[in-house]
Amino acid sequence: MTTVFFLIFALTAIGAAVAMIFQRNPVYSCLCLVLAFFALAGLYVLLGAPFIAAIQIIVYAGAIMVLFLFVIMLLNLSAEERERPKRPRFLPFAVAVGGLLLLELALVFRRAPLLGMPAGQSETSVEEIGLKLFTDYIYPFELSSVLILAAIIGAVMLAKRKI
Amino acid sequence: MSPWVPLLVMMLIGLGFGVVNIIASNFLGPRHPTAKKNMPYECGIEPIGNARIRFSVKFYVITMLFILFDMEAVFVYPWAVVYKQLARSGLFVFMEMALYLAIIFAGFVYVWKKGALNWED
Amino acid sequence: MIPLSWYLVVSAVLFTIGVVGIFFRRDLITLFMCIELQLNGVNLALIAFSRYLPDISGQIIVFFVITVAAAEAAVGLAIMIALFHHKEHLDSERVNLMQG
Repeated sequence: MTTVFFLIFALTAIGAAVAMIFQRNPVYSCLCLVLAFFALAGLYVLLGAPFIAAIQIIVYAGAIMVLFLFVIMLLNLSAEERERPKRPRFLPFAVAVGGLLLLELALVFRRAPLLGMPAGQSETSVEEIGLKLFTDYIYPFELSSVLILAAIIGAVMLAKRKI
Repeated sequence: MSPWVPLLVMMLIGLGFGVVNIIASNFLGPRHPTAKKNMPYECGIEPIGNARIRFSVKFYVITMLFILFDMEAVFVYPWAVVYKQLARSGLFVFMEMALYLAIIFAGFVYVWKKGALNWED
Repeated sequence: MIPLSWYLVVSAVLFTIGVVGIFFRRDLITLFMCIELQLNGVNLALIAFSRYLPDISGQIIVFFVITVAAAEAAVGLAIMIALFHHKEHLDSERVNLMQG
């Protein structure tokens, strides 16, 4: 049963990702990426990380991709994209680099010491994540607030300057 | 696996509802298209111009701020779950979140003072 | 039970699709979406390792990766809006001021 779900989610994620890069209209490629993120959330559930899956849907699929879609509509990019001639100039280069990278990742992952191991404990609860986050990872946590502050200021500065 | 079955059923029902309605309306509704009927519906008034206009940047600023404060809410949630457990050993867990919120609040004050939330200007 | 290697294969494939997309596409928004896809490929590997090690730290790192992605998307898209107001297009091959 789990294997069936894994195959559904994995193939959806990969298929949507491939569709994203071949889609000419940026709106459609954005929606394909949303589908891929939903499928990845399904994989996270299978991996026993339901909280991360929820964040994936809330923040990634629900907020970040909506922001992308917003900007595409804001700048009206799809009309511009359609008029442009297709130029797959980098196609052989892309295939070569992609193949090499995949080969390299396969070689690296083959050496991972626990490939045949069974899965660890069952689902991670929010409580476990919170305990770890607010004791061992407190410094990155506080730093992330500075990062968000910098992002707020930077984005407002950039967006407000020329209207 | 079992606690996820209701969620799956809900998603399938949601998906099915949309798909079935679109397909069913294709088969059930009578269709006699005329030039007037094929026009985009705008409350009976003839549409003017293209539907693909550029939106104002103000919408972007609001959405962008929503994402950043959304991220903040995501951090507060696990904190609220473990607060009672960690608060037994002192005020530290309260202070760390207070510092976090204070830094983000500085950003909020900046946005407010800068007038990024004003719709008219 | 699904072995770890299956998840790693999916993760590697997603990352590679992101890299290929960067060579393949020209508009900056789609390039940005490819970067998001790469981040998600890495996230999947992190969560898979965190499940099989088992060590919960992988999930915490994914937490921070998502935070960075949110901040990056907000600022990156603001830069694109500013660039678009300046140049009236978002074509990566025509944004070459630094090339001279």
